Amino acid sequence: MFLKHIDLTTALRPSYLDGEALTFVQDNVGLYEGKYKLPNQQKGQVYLTTHRICYVDSQEPRKHSVALDLKDIERYEFYAGFLKSSAKFIITPPDSSARNSPAAPVQATSATWVCTICSFPNPVPSNFDPTTANVHTPLPPCLACGIKPALTHVLKASINNATSRQAPPGAGSRPQSVFNPTPRDTRLIGDGSGGSSPSGAGFSPAASTPNLDSGGGSGFQCPRCTFENHPSLLSCEICGAPLISHDVSSSIAPAALRTDSPGPVLTTGSVTGRETPESVKISFRAGGEKIFYERLKVCMIQRKWLLQEAPPIPRANRAAEGNNGTLSRTGSGAGRNKSAGIAGLEQMGLDRRKNNELMIGTSFEDLEALMASAKEIVALAESFSRQVNGGSDNATSEANALLAESASQLGLITTKDIVGGGSGSASESLYLSELSRNLAEFLTDDSRGVLKKAGGIMSLVDLWAMFNRARGGVELVSPNDFEKAAQLWEKLKLPVRLRTFKSGVMVAQSRDRTDEATVKALLSWLRDLHDIPPDTDVSWDWQEFGRGVTAQDVAERFGWSIAVAEEELEMAEERGVLCREEGIEGIKFWENFIDTGEYRKRPRRQVTENDRILRDLKAAGLL
Amino acid sequence: MTTSNSFDFPREYHFPPFFTRQTNVNTHRAQLEKWSSLILGYCAHHKLYKLSLSATAAGNNDNSSSNAGASADDLFHNRNLNRRLSTADAREVLDFMRKEGRAEFVAGGDNGAAKEGGGDVAWIYWKTPEEWAKELEGWVDDTAQKGTVLTLYELTQGEDTRGSAFHGLDPDLLQKALQVLVKRGKAQIFGQDDSQGVKFF
Repeated sequence: MFLKHIDLTTALRPSYLDGEALTFVQDNVGLYEGKYKLPNQQKGQVYLTTHRICYVDSQEPRKHSVALDLKDIERYEFYAGFLKSSAKFIITPPDSSARNSPAAPVQATSATWVCTICSFPNPVPSNFDPTTANVHTPLPPCLACGIKPALTHVLKASINNATSRQAPPGAGSRPQSVFNPTPRDTRLIGDGSGGSSPSGAGFSPAASTPNLDSGGGSGFQCPRCTFENHPSLLSCEICGAPLISHDVSSSIAPAALRTDSPGPVLTTGSVTGRETPESVKISFRAGGEKIFYERLKVCMIQRKWLLQEAPPIPRANRAAEGNNGTLSRTGSGAGRNKSAGIAGLEQMGLDRRKNNELMIGTSFEDLEALMASAKEIVALAESFSRQVNGGSDNATSEANALLAESASQLGLITTKDIVGGGSGSASESLYLSELSRNLAEFLTDDSRGVLKKAGGIMSLVDLWAMFNRARGGVELVSPNDFEKAAQLWEKLKLPVRLRTFKSGVMVAQSRDRTDEATVKALLSWLRDLHDIPPDTDVSWDWQEFGRGVTAQDVAERFGWSIAVAEEELEMAEERGVLCREEGIEGIKFWENFIDTGEYRKRPRRQVTENDRILRDLKAAGLL
Repeated sequence: MTTSNSFDFPREYHFPPFFTRQTNVNTHRAQLEKWSSLILGYCAHHKLYKLSLSATAAGNNDNSSSNAGASADDLFHNRNLNRRLSTADAREVLDFMRKEGRAEFVAGGDNGAAKEGGGDVAWIYWKTPEEWAKELEGWVDDTAQKGTVLTLYELTQGEDTRGSAFHGLDPDLLQKALQVLVKRGKAQIFGQDDSQGVKFF
């Protein structure tokens, strides 16, 4: 599959793979497959990471977001746009390009080698084992001309065959599509697909499809020479090629059928299901294509996905050197005794410091190197901070751990230069929306639990400080941008929301925490207090009225900050659920027993009565 | 003058926040309503016609008023809870009652306590002058004293009125009630300051 469905984070951004880093974002892009627009992917954002190109749809992000791996890209072209047509990227998967390229050694689906002299396809002997074969392995001569093949030739053929067998049908691996376009073959294709243009799909499934369609069990077409064999035969009567059984063909038939006519399917089928689109186009309707091109070039050169699983190279090398060094030192007779004890510890520390020095030295040589070894540097910084924090108390170390953890995700953080866009205002809004998503992720990230630790509600100022600290001192967000980004949460339907209290204090909280829920929680707590005797003797009937609570009590009870607790209490008071008592102990909040609602009805009735009289008078013409 | 049997305070009176001015508009309105009905009920129970907000102002007044002042302290100060409605808040309550027609600040012309509008002493109209006028009229009707001349002292302190609602009515309030009747042409007041008489028609 070329276009894959992707997972999104809570903030509707692609969730990144290990070691993946965001390099560019651009909004207002659409996707094409071949010449056709993909109906569901016409307005969205494109995220270029070191590993992938992700498209996140604006309308239905969870449903229609797709990604394609950079490693699957064979070729990418830039189309600058002309008149009304916007600039596009044409990205070609390897399959379709392979179709155009001249075929390498001719292969059939079974292990056959093609004679270099007469180009007759000979079967590889069944006892030929590529793993054990050597120069002395006896090879049968060509069945047609009698010339002996070279060992490498046969070897290649059998290996190719083996790999193509292992690969799942339609995976787009090379051997399937390297059918030699001899006249016979074109005839085969003509029969099979019914169209003049050979489809880009692997040829083996395409060739096997007609067996089902035309034969219906009566005939069995040879994939090589197209001779209709009897279904019970296992190899072709004419050319001797092994015939593919019905089971195999039926399992791969649906995929093959779909690739037969790519045009009409495009408008209806799901994108991710299709296997080998001709090409994918990314249309940049709001600019940004040039930067995208630059960044994509860099990404394709760096090929970071290759490193994904591999251990970080510099450290591995150094570690190996270090190990070798110590090994040789210990091995060279200096002995274990010398490196044991305090001297050994010191030696170890020295080694480590040397390593660090080396790493820092190489990393800071230039910016490129620093970016390349960002992972190690962050790890180093973390270890330093841990050492520094060794003696201090737990609370700060916890906070620092949180920060360090956040810092390791630096690569995923939106910076102004990552975001593209044509005019200044457009890029500004994109930056803000990305920042907004970024923030939402920061808040809702379960592993970090920023919001959870603050009792589900956090003042914007605290959040701003924490976020900027988490950015590690680079690309700090201005308070203005921050506020604007926070205000976008509502619009972008993110799982957090910005709430402004009556006093103007702004807080971030998760979307599901509404005022009603808060009031309910407060009230149920106050009701519980009716049953709990107060600590000290009180003069009022606590079983009837409960007791008053201060903002501090509430803050302790719900884990909020005091400012937030105050605001929440005032909010509840504003709703008439609570009432206040000002005393020497400060303001206490009580369940509202003053406004029990009996007075609210009376004036209203009076008013309506007055209204009626007035109306009657008016009707009588007295007023 | 205060009756010895104790006044039955409403539930809110034992609720501490009742003594703090509420900021929520609706709650505050309800608070004012409740205070208003409490004051009216309390004054009716103790037959208080005036309420003084501060003890000093009460001291300057005549005997009955100072008595009222002490009672007001009882009313606004819940000793049991050790909570007190502040003077400013109490004044707000009285102001609210004034708008409802249930109170009126005593114009402090005679002792100069407060010149403009709001003095520290207020009439509490658990019965308004109109209502008092009706009471008087009803009593005159019942006792068939139309056309006779009665002194004001007779009306409020006399043996005959013992048992009627206005027995012991404050002289100033009586004046107000009689003025209502005079305006309607149902009575006529004559005589000097301390020996006034009234004739009902």
